[in-house]
Amino acid sequence: MTETFVIVGAGLAGGGAAATLREEGFDGRVVLIGAEPQPPYERPPLSKEFLHGESSFEQALFQPLDFYGKNNIETRFGHRVTHVDATEKVIELDNRERVPYEALLVATGVRNRHIPIPGFDLEGIYGLRTVADSDQIRAEISPGRKAVVVGMGFIGSEVAASLRQSGVEVAVVDRNTVPLRRVLGEEVGRVVEEIHRDHGTELIFEDKVAAFEGAERVERVITQRGHRIECDFVVVGLGVEPATELLAGTGVDIGNGVLVDEYCRTSVEGIYAAGDVANHYHPVFERHIRVEHWQNALKQGPSAARNMLGENEPYDEIPWFWSDQYEHSLQYVGFHTEWDELVIRGSLEERNFVGFYRKDRRVLAAVAINRGRDLRRSIPLIKAQEEIAGAKLRDLDIDLRTLAGMQEIHR
Amino acid sequence: MAEYAAVSGAGDLGEGEMRAFDVHGTQITVANVGGAFHAFDDTCTHLQCSLAEGDLEETTVICPCHGSEFDVTSGAVLQGPARKPLVTYETRVEGGTLEVEG
Repeated sequence: MTETFVIVGAGLAGGGAAATLREEGFDGRVVLIGAEPQPPYERPPLSKEFLHGESSFEQALFQPLDFYGKNNIETRFGHRVTHVDATEKVIELDNRERVPYEALLVATGVRNRHIPIPGFDLEGIYGLRTVADSDQIRAEISPGRKAVVVGMGFIGSEVAASLRQSGVEVAVVDRNTVPLRRVLGEEVGRVVEEIHRDHGTELIFEDKVAAFEGAERVERVITQRGHRIECDFVVVGLGVEPATELLAGTGVDIGNGVLVDEYCRTSVEGIYAAGDVANHYHPVFERHIRVEHWQNALKQGPSAARNMLGENEPYDEIPWFWSDQYEHSLQYVGFHTEWDELVIRGSLEERNFVGFYRKDRRVLAAVAINRGRDLRRSIPLIKAQEEIAGAKLRDLDIDLRTLAGMQEIHR
Repeated sequence: MAEYAAVSGAGDLGEGEMRAFDVHGTQITVANVGGAFHAFDDTCTHLQCSLAEGDLEETTVICPCHGSEFDVTSGAVLQGPARKPLVTYETRVEGGTLEVEG
């Protein structure tokens, strides 16, 4: 009997999993289902080079258009899964098609959170997740127009930079004291703030949007502290939520996403999860982490696919991402939620540094601005989980690769 | 016949080292892998970062900005986000000086 593996979610994780099944020689049926009409594509450019017109959508495609047909991957793009029956092992699509499966991979990603702010449904207010969202924002861009960006997380910060680079006047509103404060902390957030200030962005911190106002389209943003910001359009980046609802009633454990073990297996036999939606048990950090970044989607989808084929391969990649803003390369590697010390190697003032987030003298994560080589060399330090003297981390004459127990740098 | 340009200083690179040089207006990186010299465009095909600012691990060069990996002997992409291979150049040693095609 021919086995069927179904992949729900046709982003980078789902697309990568489908490709991997074929690369590994799986000769059963592969069905790849995605809610968006497009085949799998990479999202990082949507807030950066694609948004400010430097790259095309074709350049973001994960694989050429004919890849899926050539590899005998059945695709259902533009369709949602409405029901998963984990007992009968069959899924149902919004066109009533039923597909039985032997293994199911959930790679449905995340969606932008709906924010209960008055006026949120006015025209001209956008979130950014899909290429359709990015296209809508692109259509608003022209020099001299005025935008308000709400939320200075990574998406908001990148969008603010891309809009400024396109000649749009930008004001940002964020509830914290500096951009990216929750992830990077005050000191590094201050550096990012100054970068945005230097490019002429109006920065409003420690404030929240009280209402969006306008007749049909948004015309101004009113903040809780009384700012009235006239604008032509708004981009909101206030966080996301994992798209787990299709698993309701299946018995799959949900908790900040789909809970999976180090092999991407859920609590229900035959069902796996990968990518942004997966809250995955990470063997290095010895806890569940959910990672919403390109590299995780790129690597975890294929890893899940190999585990669907029975390979028992633990997924232990150290999370890493980049966030280009203006001419600056910001990168982060590792995972931390709290830290007791931030050790700076290089210079915050010169915007050329690595910051190591440490707890009990162990490096949990590192952030770099314009110091990518050192960032990559930090990965073995994070993997090793050893105590390292702060003075050694700071010493620019010491090659970071010599500090970890392992000599071979992680790929 | 291919033209070669002398790259002064490239012959001094130690094993495992690489550096970018201006060759007739093009930034070309020369890498010394186990005594063999490999030359390739310094500009990453993804988003134009300088590869010489990254790391060289045996025959793999790693972009410092977005982690793309290329084989310096062929220019082939080993790891995205880059899609396009790197242009590579022949090298030779003439009279004690390293020369790069182009």
